[in-house]
Amino acid sequence: MDPTMVFWLFAAAFGASALGGVLGMASGIFIVPILTLLFSIDIHVAIGASIISVIACSCGSAAPLLKRRLTNIRLALVLETATTLGALTGVFLIGVVSNSFLYGLFAFILALSAKQMLVRRREVEVADISRPNVKSLATVLRLHSSFPDHASGRDVPYQVGHVPISLALMYGAGVISALLGIGSGVLKIPAMDTALRLPIKVSSATSNFMIGVTAAASAGAYFVRGDIDIGIAGPVALGSVVGALVGARLLMGLPADKIRLSFVVVLSLLAVQMLLSALGVQLLGESA
Amino acid sequence: MKSTTNRIARCEQSIAGLLWNGTWLASALVTAGIALGATHDSWSFVAPGLSGYNVMKTGVAFFIILPIARVALMLVMSLRERDYVYTLISVFVLAVIAAGIMVGL
Repeated sequence: MDPTMVFWLFAAAFGASALGGVLGMASGIFIVPILTLLFSIDIHVAIGASIISVIACSCGSAAPLLKRRLTNIRLALVLETATTLGALTGVFLIGVVSNSFLYGLFAFILALSAKQMLVRRREVEVADISRPNVKSLATVLRLHSSFPDHASGRDVPYQVGHVPISLALMYGAGVISALLGIGSGVLKIPAMDTALRLPIKVSSATSNFMIGVTAAASAGAYFVRGDIDIGIAGPVALGSVVGALVGARLLMGLPADKIRLSFVVVLSLLAVQMLLSALGVQLLGESA
Repeated sequence: MKSTTNRIARCEQSIAGLLWNGTWLASALVTAGIALGATHDSWSFVAPGLSGYNVMKTGVAFFIILPIARVALMLVMSLRERDYVYTLISVFVLAVIAAGIMVGL
């Protein structure tokens, strides 16, 4: 292990995680482009390192959200049946798809994230909680819950929407998570906002909570297969978890709107660069 | 209703404790691994069998085990409450993760 390399890996993961934390997004989506484009690391090694950092961030930030009672743990467990199955599919697929396909898919997800970041999430209209659909899967599984609203000091009840549709979307999120080493928040958030109609705070906390288990399903397979380069994954995971916990607090004063715009630009540039890598053109770094 | 809410809240606190302490432990192992690796020449004569790489590898393994342990904890909690639907769901999630690891082996 070269100490200079270890330091830069730590610093890059710290920076990505701290900045991501300001906007409440996971840094996973930045780790693979940073490692492949700036450090010229093979995309499979980068995916292995990123998936560990995704787990580390999810576990590190889950506790405060649980203490604030924003996470719906039952719903998370139900949805994890689909995300882990998706991750298992991804573990099979990653052995057969080409590097170009992975770069191309990454470019698409980066572009989707940039688009999503431009559109501010709006609170969905909460369904009428006085008349729950007794036959819905959410009712049968007792998923409806409430969360404390700090402004009013009261518990706000909410109903969980269409579970079957969201399970299908979560399966897709699991596949993408395993293939690209990301948390797939970009796919989970539309599922939780539109299909499940959850309040934003609950949806963000529950999505973050699920990411760890989804990522562990593929990371476990990659780890025993020997596909995880410990010398890279260790410093990256440490940088990400420290960045998520400490960095976000340090950067709290920064204007979120300006960061949001700069993220849109960075995500778009990375999407273009990853697309070029998919086509075999490399402007930054040396290897594709 | 109140007791159900309290029970879920207690479960959440236990899970929060597991994830928080586990993250600290795994991070400490990775940090120790990096530090041991960087200073290897100055202490290797004291403990020749110890390597920074292996300590860091244990830390990375801890990170992977942590969410799996969380599902296992939820399994124990639902069993204790005789909530068999959630026991089954937890078993299913653990089985899928185990299948992934078997595929990797």
